[in-house]
Amino acid sequence: MRRIGTFPIVVIVLVAIYAATKWGIPAFSREVTALPFPLPVPRTLMLFYMTLAVVAMFLMVTFSEEGMQDFLRPIKKLLRGGYGQIARALVLLAVPAIAAWQTYEMTVPRVEVPLSLRIQHPSSNFPVSSESLENPFNHPSDADIDAFIEQARANEIEFIAQVQGDIDLWADEWDPDHILEFFAAEPVKKFLAELEEDNVSHATAEAALMEKNLFEGRALYAMNCRACHGDSVAGDGPMADGFKLRPINFTDNGTIETIVEGYTFWRVTNGGPGLPTEATPWDSAMPEWKLSLTEEQRWKIILAEYNLAQKTPRIPEGHE
Amino acid sequence: MLDILKTGIAATVTAAILAAPGLASSVPGAPMPEATEEFVEAGRDIYIQRCSFCHGLLGDGEGPAAKYLDPRPRDFTLGTFKFRTTESGELPTDSDLFRTVSRGLVGTAMQSFDSDLIKNGLTEEERWQVIAYIKTFAFEFEEPDLDPVANGKVLSVPANPAPYNEETIARGAKVFEKAKCWSCHGMTGRGDGNKEFREDDWGFQIRIRNVTHPWKIKAGSEVEDIYMRFTSGISGTPMPSFVKSLDEAERWDLANYIKSLQHDLTAHQALTAKLVDGELSEDPADAIWDQTQPMDVRLTGQVIGAPRWQNPSVEMVTVRAVFNDTDIAFKLTWDDPFEDIVHDEAQEFDPVELTQVGGFNSYVEAIGMITRDLETFRDSVALQFPVKPPSGTKKPHFFRGSSSDQVYLMVWKADKHAAGERATDEGNARGWRQAIKPQAEDAQQVTGKAVWDQGRWSVIMKRPLVTGDKSDVQFEPGIFIPMSLNAWDGSNGEHGLIMSLSTWYFVVLEAPTPKKVYVYTLLAFLIFGALGLWLARKALASRNEDEAGT
Repeated sequence: MRRIGTFPIVVIVLVAIYAATKWGIPAFSREVTALPFPLPVPRTLMLFYMTLAVVAMFLMVTFSEEGMQDFLRPIKKLLRGGYGQIARALVLLAVPAIAAWQTYEMTVPRVEVPLSLRIQHPSSNFPVSSESLENPFNHPSDADIDAFIEQARANEIEFIAQVQGDIDLWADEWDPDHILEFFAAEPVKKFLAELEEDNVSHATAEAALMEKNLFEGRALYAMNCRACHGDSVAGDGPMADGFKLRPINFTDNGTIETIVEGYTFWRVTNGGPGLPTEATPWDSAMPEWKLSLTEEQRWKIILAEYNLAQKTPRIPEGHE
Repeated sequence: MLDILKTGIAATVTAAILAAPGLASSVPGAPMPEATEEFVEAGRDIYIQRCSFCHGLLGDGEGPAAKYLDPRPRDFTLGTFKFRTTESGELPTDSDLFRTVSRGLVGTAMQSFDSDLIKNGLTEEERWQVIAYIKTFAFEFEEPDLDPVANGKVLSVPANPAPYNEETIARGAKVFEKAKCWSCHGMTGRGDGNKEFREDDWGFQIRIRNVTHPWKIKAGSEVEDIYMRFTSGISGTPMPSFVKSLDEAERWDLANYIKSLQHDLTAHQALTAKLVDGELSEDPADAIWDQTQPMDVRLTGQVIGAPRWQNPSVEMVTVRAVFNDTDIAFKLTWDDPFEDIVHDEAQEFDPVELTQVGGFNSYVEAIGMITRDLETFRDSVALQFPVKPPSGTKKPHFFRGSSSDQVYLMVWKADKHAAGERATDEGNARGWRQAIKPQAEDAQQVTGKAVWDQGRWSVIMKRPLVTGDKSDVQFEPGIFIPMSLNAWDGSNGEHGLIMSLSTWYFVVLEAPTPKKVYVYTLLAFLIFGALGLWLARKALASRNEDEAGT
């Protein structure tokens, strides 16, 4: 096999490194981040890589006198017209032309949208007191469960006003023995069966109460959050396309699963305006829900949101 | 041989079309399983958890979230379904229901429930279960005489459809004329053919589809979908079936034509204002606007503060800009089927109840709460900028700024335009809780004309680049200035915070390339050129030496 000269090797290496940083890394970044756009290598970093590459090549070439001569041979040959007058003229024109083009590219003003990097889960102003907040509907107190059993015994379950109307209509139509019969979920069926036998276990009642709270939370979610975050909490509601900063997709592993419940509650409560500067509050359409929803409503929505997304919140430190 | 090859290619292409993403998932892998009691009960459980909040526990389309939605959730008890592949007035097939549950209806609250597309959607079996339950709401599904499959009422797309090209599109344009599609949808397809609202079978107002906006074409914007819409008709609405009046080929051509009308959204986030010589035109029809780069701005309902609104009408405004050494002019165009040029303040909505914490809901109901009719509220549009140029990435909030960071708005109102008054007012806002405060009379400098034509508003707002007013944005070439929009469609009931809005985009006034750039470029060329010549001379000289040496 014919030996490749030093000069072509240097050219090939420099071109390869340039191509890898200019196009290779951005293409690879799409694979890694799964974002719909590539992450380009900053110009200064590219300059750094290329300088390093040139220095390395220089060391290689000047390592020995033979190497240097081998490197210079094709250049000298070209300049002496060894590859023909036309080739020489072309190279003598092309090199300054490329230099001029690069200079122009580097100095001409560009119309590029200013980059706005943002931190998704900022903690700089997250109050410590919220860290350990727990969703009261996740672990209802014994008193709450007992009250629920009593209500169920009397067939006088209280629902939030938002769902009561539809449940009443259903009851008018079907005239059920028990109002909870509209549920098809197993835990409620089991609870009703135990109620019938007058042998209600605390655990069954708690599971049934959870179904009721989830139902109310889902209704509140459908009424208040669905338009942006979507039917399936995938951040794809019918309003989502209007926002540059898309609504959060709760089914994503990097969202509500990585934060404590108290954080979710704090975000729902204070919305975009409650974010610190590093999280670009001016681009967030998240409302300050404390202006419209009660604490109870917000917690019920969060309960339903985690349930719909099939995620569990991170457990606060010190509670593990 | 060639024929076999052709058939093979056609079959492959057809298979490819059928397998296209979005379509594949909507075709069930197997027919609907037998609806056993257990199967239906499983469907009921899913229905209660995923569907009932809109469609209601009784399937009557009266769930808790229904009042706020337009279009309203389907009432399953009537057995009337809009999107079918069956003849006019017939029930849908199981596959039709499967398609709707899987794909959702674009631009509406009915979203895709396909677990292949949505992580926690429903599996094929779950979708069949819920469909089996939905079918129990209407007795029609139990009548064998009404089964569209058994009775041969199912429609199909043409076996050998004409290709999508200029010829078929041109033929389709003639069909559009002949079938009088324009009488409702307008000559340009913007849904502006009628001078008043039409109603559906339940007496609800319907908004005639603007067929140029594919993100609102509910049952899909592909040629096959469009073909099926005017082949089957849309039950319960004035949209008829054209099976009798147009033959298959004509309908396919028409579908190609409608497809060709669909707007391609621009993707850029920064509008370049073009530098022009001489006076800036205030006429929306001026030829200069054709030479500028348009930018489509997406808007959506204002859902950030009560009263919240999720049925916005204006979902895209196209913005253009030109400037000279003293002034800047913006052209805003958006589709609106009705020219709403009156405003009745007495009918404005009082949102007090919706703004209470824990109130029933903070969204405006689609029907009854506000008047969504002609001759009530005006059309309006506003351009918004920060007053102070942003430092770093920091900006005021896109929804009217905040108490510490005010915004500047140019608000155009159709009623003032129609009255021949100054139509655009400059104003400022510090957050959304107070109304936009108009600036003093002597600070008002915006001029410009507007025109409504064939379902489209075009509005010009022209202003000096630099004003002496500290509450105004100042335009300087080469700087990225954040820009966002608010829009109101009067006949959609919009006024006050019941509106659509965009998040921040940018406008940048193109700066002429500085002369030094050319100087540097020339210098680089000369230096490298001289270096090359010098090396060449040196190489030649050294060869002479080498030769002399040997």
